Amino acid sequence: MARVWTWLREDIWEIRFRRYVALTLVAALVGLGVWGGMTAAKENRSCAPGVVQPKGSDECVGVSWTTYAFRRPQFAETIRAINRENHRLSPGSYVTVALLEPFTASDADNLGDVLHELQGAYLAQYQANHDTTGLKPKIRLVLANPGATGAHWRHTVDQLERMTKGPDRLRAVTGVGLSTDNNKKAVQELTRRGIPVIGSSITADDLANGQDGKDPFPGLARVSPTNTDEARALASFAKVSAADAFLVYDRTGDPYTRTLQRSFEKMLKGSRYEAQPFTPPADRSKEGSTANVFAQVSNILCNTPKTTDTVLFAGRHTQLRQFINALGARGCVDRRFTVLTGDEGSYLAGDKDLDPAALKDPLLTVRYTALAHPDAWPKDAARTGGSAADAKVLRDLLASAAREPAGPIGKVGLDDGQLIIAYDAMRLAVHGIRGASPTGKVPALRDVGLQWPQVKGKQLRVNGASGWICLDAHGNPYDKAVPIVELTPDSRTRFVRIAWPEGKPPAKECLPPS
Amino acid sequence: MHTGLHGRGALFDTDPPGLASRLVGLRPYQLRSTPYEHPGELPFVVFAGGRGLGKSAVLRELRDAYRGHTPVALIDGEDRQFAAPPPERPAEAWSPVGQALTTIAEQLAEPVTGAGRIGFPRLAAGLLAVAAGGWSNRDVPRIRQEAERILLLNETGSWLSGFAGRWVSKVISKLVASMSGTGPVVEPIIEATLEAFAEGIAPAHRRLRKAATWYRDYPNAGGSPKLALILLSRHFRAGGDSLRHAERHLVRALLADLDDAYSGVMQRSHRRGRPVVLIDNVQEPAGLGLLEPVLRDRADGITDQVVFCAALRGYAHPALRNAGRRTLPEAARESGWEPGTSPSSRALLVSLPPLTPDDTLHIVDTVAQGPSPAPGAADVPPHLPHATHRLTGGSPLGITLLAGSARQNLPQGADSLGQLLTADVALHEDRDGRPTYQELLAHLVPGGRLDELTVLAAAHDRDSACVLAEAQLPEDFGASGVLDLEERLTAEGWPTASGQFVGDPFLRALLLLRLHHGDPDHARWRAVHRTLVDHYRDTGEPAAQDTARYRLHHELALGKADSAVAHLRDTFPRTDTRVWLSSLLFIASAPYFHPHDPDGRDFDGHDHRASVALGRTDAAQQPPDSVDAVLHLRVRRLLHAVWQLTDPLVLPDPKVTERLRFELEQLSNLRPAGNALLWRASRDWPADALAGRPFHVPGDDDEIGNGGR
Repeated sequence: MARVWTWLREDIWEIRFRRYVALTLVAALVGLGVWGGMTAAKENRSCAPGVVQPKGSDECVGVSWTTYAFRRPQFAETIRAINRENHRLSPGSYVTVALLEPFTASDADNLGDVLHELQGAYLAQYQANHDTTGLKPKIRLVLANPGATGAHWRHTVDQLERMTKGPDRLRAVTGVGLSTDNNKKAVQELTRRGIPVIGSSITADDLANGQDGKDPFPGLARVSPTNTDEARALASFAKVSAADAFLVYDRTGDPYTRTLQRSFEKMLKGSRYEAQPFTPPADRSKEGSTANVFAQVSNILCNTPKTTDTVLFAGRHTQLRQFINALGARGCVDRRFTVLTGDEGSYLAGDKDLDPAALKDPLLTVRYTALAHPDAWPKDAARTGGSAADAKVLRDLLASAAREPAGPIGKVGLDDGQLIIAYDAMRLAVHGIRGASPTGKVPALRDVGLQWPQVKGKQLRVNGASGWICLDAHGNPYDKAVPIVELTPDSRTRFVRIAWPEGKPPAKECLPPS
Repeated sequence: MHTGLHGRGALFDTDPPGLASRLVGLRPYQLRSTPYEHPGELPFVVFAGGRGLGKSAVLRELRDAYRGHTPVALIDGEDRQFAAPPPERPAEAWSPVGQALTTIAEQLAEPVTGAGRIGFPRLAAGLLAVAAGGWSNRDVPRIRQEAERILLLNETGSWLSGFAGRWVSKVISKLVASMSGTGPVVEPIIEATLEAFAEGIAPAHRRLRKAATWYRDYPNAGGSPKLALILLSRHFRAGGDSLRHAERHLVRALLADLDDAYSGVMQRSHRRGRPVVLIDNVQEPAGLGLLEPVLRDRADGITDQVVFCAALRGYAHPALRNAGRRTLPEAARESGWEPGTSPSSRALLVSLPPLTPDDTLHIVDTVAQGPSPAPGAADVPPHLPHATHRLTGGSPLGITLLAGSARQNLPQGADSLGQLLTADVALHEDRDGRPTYQELLAHLVPGGRLDELTVLAAAHDRDSACVLAEAQLPEDFGASGVLDLEERLTAEGWPTASGQFVGDPFLRALLLLRLHHGDPDHARWRAVHRTLVDHYRDTGEPAAQDTARYRLHHELALGKADSAVAHLRDTFPRTDTRVWLSSLLFIASAPYFHPHDPDGRDFDGHDHRASVALGRTDAAQQPPDSVDAVLHLRVRRLLHAVWQLTDPLVLPDPKVTERLRFELEQLSNLRPAGNALLWRASRDWPADALAGRPFHVPGDDDEIGNGGR
């Protein structure tokens, strides 16, 4: 040791040249060590290219452009198909559209939704890239995950914004999923940063422009009608009278339940009964203790006069299921009740926790407004607002996606309408992108969002599989077909008929009135 | 860090830094810098001293202390290579200084920690021009050999300069090729050299070009390096003052090349301290030829940063007339040297003092026993270190050789100094040994005249020496030989002492020992002493007191103590005590080797002085009837006690010491007038004897008889 010290002191330190070289080396080594230490200390939180686990979370969030399936095997086939399609595009010829969905959701309902959204978006991408007219630019689809509850929306939004610059050329975000607070914030931030957003299944009124004459989300377009429109369609369909209806609503609420509740309250102005609130757990996909509340609510219902036969339910699907189960076990079995609710009802189909007895109760009917339904256009005779031919295009696509080159895309389900609505949303995104670049070049980011007010009229509307999509000046669909669906005793859905927010289908020109 | 030298801490200390550290800027044996004492101009240090004082050892130690840390060169002016040109080389193209410069440059060029070889292009160009003056186109092999040695001084060993060996052979071919026909050689050689220096674009070659242009400033060269080198070569061959002039430029070239190695940011960041040039025997031509130009250049303002340390035999030299003078201990903390105006004032003469008794003790212990004594090793007798110091007077050479002899001979039972001196000592394991005193004399008095000096060692002054030379030495030696030897002793730095021809007691003791052992029956020894006894025979003149003590001294040397006892006994009551004591000391300083019979022959080989001093022989003594028998015996015991205790060759006997004290006390009772003096001596002398110090008459600072320097 002493010898080493002497060597350092005399043979290195005293010779200035060696001293400086040694100091430089030591500094470099220390730097390297610090960097190495920090790298070693830093956890590898990467899940896949573009996808990371944020601190304090085990979710993989971010934007994925590989075959990474967010550890959800059911997505794998579709994502591989998307990846194949993405790789068919030559560099520079495409723009990117991101599908914003909670890919890491853990409950079966949401996962089913996401899968169907994924499939719908992919089919629209495939159709856009392979359509015979050869329109440009081509579309690349990437998957953006803000987390199961959307908690990491800021991370994902930041990443999406980065992708608008550079070779990704991100030009629109579709999907968004449910009308939750996090999603609302995400949409707000995306649109604030000038990224056009096309909501597929969001229905909340306050997640839309044009409410009270304001446009808080510039560049947002929606494919689904607002809750108000749904409620109006429902009302026009059911001819609900304020005297005979009873409102049950989510007390804490999220944008979806709140706007639905507000729409229902407008309909029930002058009702005899006070509306019945319930308080669900923070994560509304959890069971919680609300089942007890609903047992009491059903008790209260039994105490109403016989004329009261309509229950308006403003809540999410788990609570809806609990409520139906409670109603199925009501004391007054002789009373007839019809439960009307928004598109959350679509989750009930195939829900194994739904009490079969309640389903089979002939006096208990559950009807809701679906975002879309596969049987809607083939069975309904409306001549405007959509067509069976438009719906058939998607069916043909689905058939071709069963095998190469388009498919396979995994198990397909149309009943919940998510696939159809996601397909339409993606088509609207493509419509906007291509509308903003008539020459086929890459459009400017903001130009895409400026297209929405012009999506109307015979030529410029989008003939969606769920019906015509004619947007008003705020990007909301005008008089969008609302399929009313009924839950069958075998836990399936039965299309009842198409209802219209305006009470009737739009005119052929499909121009919203001023 | 350990230095192999004892008693030279003033030079080699690190904390606080000794003279060497302050000059070189580096601690000895360590690559650690220390502040310079002379950041600007530094003194040309000359270590002065006689033979055997360890000057060469100091220079060797300096070289070892700094080798590998800073460039160091050590030459010895007495080295045979500086005495005469090598065979075949014409004398006019060679000088001791040129040879010394080549040797120094070769040693300085060696790489050190942190820096590579030093190139000497200026010196090489100059030396080549000088050497070319001795070349003709007949002896090409010799030219190749000489040119190669000189050109290799350019070698820096840097990979940038490429394969220097190849460059050298290329240049040599060019030089040889340039010597066409029978015309003059010097000019073409210089032309080819400068041409070779001007070629190439590598950094090394740029250095060479710069070196070539350095000669433009040579007087009368008119800015042409070629003309300058031709003039240099011509001046060198001319000899005399021209040669001095040329040599001065060569020395300047060496220093300029060294300066180059230390200039520039990059160069300085690779090197610490200053380069060191060590010149042993600077009084020889090779040394003076370096010393004088350096001093003159420094006085003229041509400064350099080279640490010159030289060793001068003796204490003065004409070239160092105005040099600053210090003893080494004075320069331990700071030399306080300031340059004056004359060249010689740029030198600092540092005289090396003899070693102290402590140093002697350390050396004897380490040399005689080794650093870690083996269990079976003979113990060093406790008085030996002091006795050694008393005999040698602190001469490092004497102490080291005696200690070496002790290591080799103690196990054989030789424990007295006399035995150790006469016993064989082998300086190297592969060499046959010879008696230690001969080995010592070979080092102290080399170069002839040892036989003559051996005889004259018994003399006391020039007169007695001449008498001895006349009687005992060949006729051609004579008085002039005596004067010559006397001058030589002074020149070599031997001290003088009143009452002795050879002033240095150690050298004198050795010479007398040699005189005694010169022939088997000691005839020469007796003849010499008898000659001197005759020379100092009692003439009845007033100065008889003085001549008597000389005569008695030599009689005692021949083993006859009776007349000395009688003289001291008779003079005791009436002479001044101080004079009496000094007579006692002088007479008792007679050399003693063996007990002698009345005819001067050895009879038993034992030292009888102790038994006489202790009174064991008193019974057999018949003091003359007319005298005080008690005083007679007391004086006899006292004389033998002093004789024994002051004998540099014998370990002091404690019992005799005690007896000496007693006798002196008794005598002090007999002489009320000299009471105090005798009493003082009774206290001082035993202590001095035990401590190994020479005896002095109390209160008398003059050294009498057996004294130091």
